[in-house]
Parts: sequence; structure tokens; C-alpha cells
Amino acid sequence: TGGHTTEILRLLSCLSESYSPRHYVLADSDKMSEAKIHSFEQKRAETFSKSQFTLDRIPRSREVRQSWISSVVTTLYSILYSLPLTYKRKPDLILCNGPGTCVPVCLSAFLLGLLRIKRTIIVYVESICRVETLSLSGKILYYFSDYFIVQWPDLKKKYPKSVYLGRVV
Amino acid sequence: FRFKDSLAEDLQSADLVISHAGAGSCLETLEKGKPLIVVINDKLMDNHQLELARQLHRDGYVLYCNCSTLVETLQSMDLSALKPFSPGQPEKFASFLDKVFGLQ
Repeated sequence: TGGHTTEILRLLSCLSESYSPRHYVLADSDKMSEAKIHSFEQKRAETFSKSQFTLDRIPRSREVRQSWISSVVTTLYSILYSLPLTYKRKPDLILCNGPGTCVPVCLSAFLLGLLRIKRTIIVYVESICRVETLSLSGKILYYFSDYFIVQWPDLKKKYPKSVYLGRVV
Repeated sequence: FRFKDSLAEDLQSADLVISHAGAGSCLETLEKGKPLIVVINDKLMDNHQLELARQLHRDGYVLYCNCSTLVETLQSMDLSALKPFSPGQPEKFASFLDKVFGLQ
């Protein structure tokens, strides 16, 4: 969604073509991100001719301020929905930065890893908006990600297993 | 206007920007090198937007107020005291990932 998409596209901006093909996963309710992604990939194709990407949609796992209990139910549903997608794509790397959408995708990949079906490296970059506290996605994925990147030093202090590279977006 | 796809043009021609604390708005403005006053909406609960605005203010990049103190802030502001904003460095992230995958 919105700000998250802008941030993640900035994160992608300096990646080499080794990070290809790129599979984007969006919430079904997200109207604006698709255009931003197409625009980014179009520009990229101007420099890297063999550039490839796909776009999939999954049900949104949680609305803003949705209650705890219903969030668990909708997230479980989203994990089940994400499993076939993650299984199909079998990504080497999942890169995400915090929208609720990323939690089921990451958890489904984590599950496939436990089942020895595919080992995916999960890299989570907390949004630049998060200076002192983690988002809910961050709090969850801190325990499931291989690398957890924060953009402000306070968070590095609070979450010692995180990686601090300064502001990256 | 209510909504535009991009504020880039308006930002470019502005001398001063007064904005809510949304990260996109703040960062876009700072990256264009425009002086920024961030207005906090204290009626929004669980306002994590505050974190970024507060930090940007602490670091000396923006001025900061709420709706009721806006006028006073405008009257007493010293824009020259604001520090120039350095952009984020996605290349550091790319470098980090390359090391993870042994591409460097």
C-alpha cells in the first residue's frame, strides 16, 4: 500500500539484475501500487533488457485498527491463501517492509522452510516512519526473518538482533 | 484541490511547506530542499506518524507544531536554522544484500 510501495521501490532501486525475476505481491484492495510498480519496472527495463517481473494479489490480512481476534482469523486465512503462491514462486528471497500483507507471505515461506520444501531468506526492512517503536508486522517478523533492518539507532538498541544501516530510503 | 497524483510541481515552486506528519509528505518536501513545518493532528490516536516528525525535528530538519500553535509558529519561525536534509542511501541496502548472497 501507498507509502510502503514507495519505500520498497526505493529499496529496489540499487539492486543489480541478479535480483530477478521480481515477484510483487499486493493486497487485493490496493489500487495505487500497481501503477507505481509498472512505472518502476518500465524504467528498469530501459537499462536492463532482460528484466522480468510478475504481480500477484492476495486478500488483505488486516484492516487498520481491526480487532485482535478477527485479525488472527483473517491472517490465518491469508496464510493459507499465500501458501500456494509461495510454493509456486519458491522465492530465494522475500523482501518486505511492513504492510500487513507481508506477514502471511513471510509466514507461509517460513512454513515451507520448516517443511524442507524451500528455504527462503526473509529480509524485513522496517519503515522509515518507525523511529522508536516497531510496527505490528515488525514485531511479528522480528522473530521469523533472517535479517531485520531498522533505519534509526533507537530501534537497534531496543532490538539488538536487528541490522542498522542508517536511512536507506 | 483534494487529490493529485503528484505534488512534485507544487513542491518545486513553494517557498515554505506546511504539512501533516505523513512520512511521504515530509520526506518528499525535505528531499526537494524546501523548509517544512509539520503540523501534528493530536486528535488521531495511536499516532505513530509523530515518531518521524519528532525525530526530524530533533535532528533539526523541520519545524513542528499542532493546529493551535501554527499561527504562533509562523510568526516566530527562523527557517535559516533548519538543517539541510541528506537523502537515504539505498545503495547501502543493496550492498548489504549483495554480501548476504555472496554477490560481492
